[in-house]
Amino acid sequence: ITQSSAKKKCSALTGSARKIKDNAADWHNLLLRWEKLNDEGFKVAGRIVELRLMRSQRDELLLLDSTSAPAGSSSLQTGGPPELQDECCKLKDIVDKMASMVMKMQHLMASQQGVQDLEEFQFRAGGRRLPLFHSWDTKAFGDSSRALLESFTEELKLKQMIQEELAHTWSSDLCMVYMSCWLHQPFIPPDARLTLEALLLETGHRPL
Amino acid sequence: MSSPALPLIHQALRKSFQRLESSQKVWASVLAECSPLIASVGNLAEQLRALSSLHLPSTPLNVFPDLEDRLRFKLLHAVDTALVRLNEQMCSLQSVRDSFSNQVSAVFQLYEQNRDSLDASTVMERSAMAPSICDMMGWLQDAEHHYRQQFVRRKALLQTLRADELSLLESSPKRWKSLESPSMEENITDALDKVSFFIEE
Repeated sequence: ITQSSAKKKCSALTGSARKIKDNAADWHNLLLRWEKLNDEGFKVAGRIVELRLMRSQRDELLLLDSTSAPAGSSSLQTGGPPELQDECCKLKDIVDKMASMVMKMQHLMASQQGVQDLEEFQFRAGGRRLPLFHSWDTKAFGDSSRALLESFTEELKLKQMIQEELAHTWSSDLCMVYMSCWLHQPFIPPDARLTLEALLLETGHRPL
Repeated sequence: MSSPALPLIHQALRKSFQRLESSQKVWASVLAECSPLIASVGNLAEQLRALSSLHLPSTPLNVFPDLEDRLRFKLLHAVDTALVRLNEQMCSLQSVRDSFSNQVSAVFQLYEQNRDSLDASTVMERSAMAPSICDMMGWLQDAEHHYRQQFVRRKALLQTLRADELSLLESSPKRWKSLESPSMEENITDALDKVSFFIEE
């Protein structure tokens, strides 16, 4: 959406600059959506841990129960697996959406690389003499995109692992570490936001 | 015979209680902003504790060799951010305390300057509309003491907190809560009720 509206607003831009500016807008939108998905996922993951802990407490009760009255235990099963299964599916959905976002990031990186290759072809080894926007050379856009892509690729791997393991984890400490990994996203460095802002500033999405 | 200084003192008292009323509002709103922050410090400490008590290489997370350092860094960073914001809130408490103190000492100074012209019965005299000067000055002094004490205690608590002292971080929400002094708050509310007609006069 931003891409098309950006096109209308600054139709003067063409070629490499157009492409790079649109890519920057895409990065911005992807990161916003990622944050939203991350929040949603955190809530779902929280419910999974809750259900998991409830179940393990109940299993302990069952164990005690079965020694004295083995017959009456089936009534305790309600609110267990189906609900847990439901939440796990939701988390899987979210992680899948994140995976498709990382795919889009790869496309962005590829198109950025394409622009760079084209410039090298057009201007030979020295690159273009005047910057496309304010001060960055074309390679700097690629470097920013690469840094972002690498962080999110690694973060996605971590999320995929958490999604697979969370419902099978007994240790409450490990559950907490999973939750804290999900929330704090250790592979996305604190300066990722800064990298994006620099990209937006340079391409003119943010006023100087 | 009423002293010529009496209206001046009444005026200063009126102003002080108006200031007390507004100070109470600001004070409560600052503390309300602090409570989620201090809760988050406790919560982060719990997460750090869980991380330290696990041996990550023997968990499924062992495929990420630098995960532990990265997560610890992020958690400590979040603790730092929360502590910085709490300290900013302390500055707001400090300025409430200071401006109220100034107001109260102005009243006391005025009283000192005019004490010769005020006899004991004037100072003790109360009416249906106004409590006695003596009572009102006492209440102001109590409120000022309350602000001083609260500020120092809360500030001291925050100063003991360090990102690498997990047990202190973990207990901080409880200790923060234990600093509340509802009886003193109640006294201030009572005093404000008692002077409500006097303020409006």
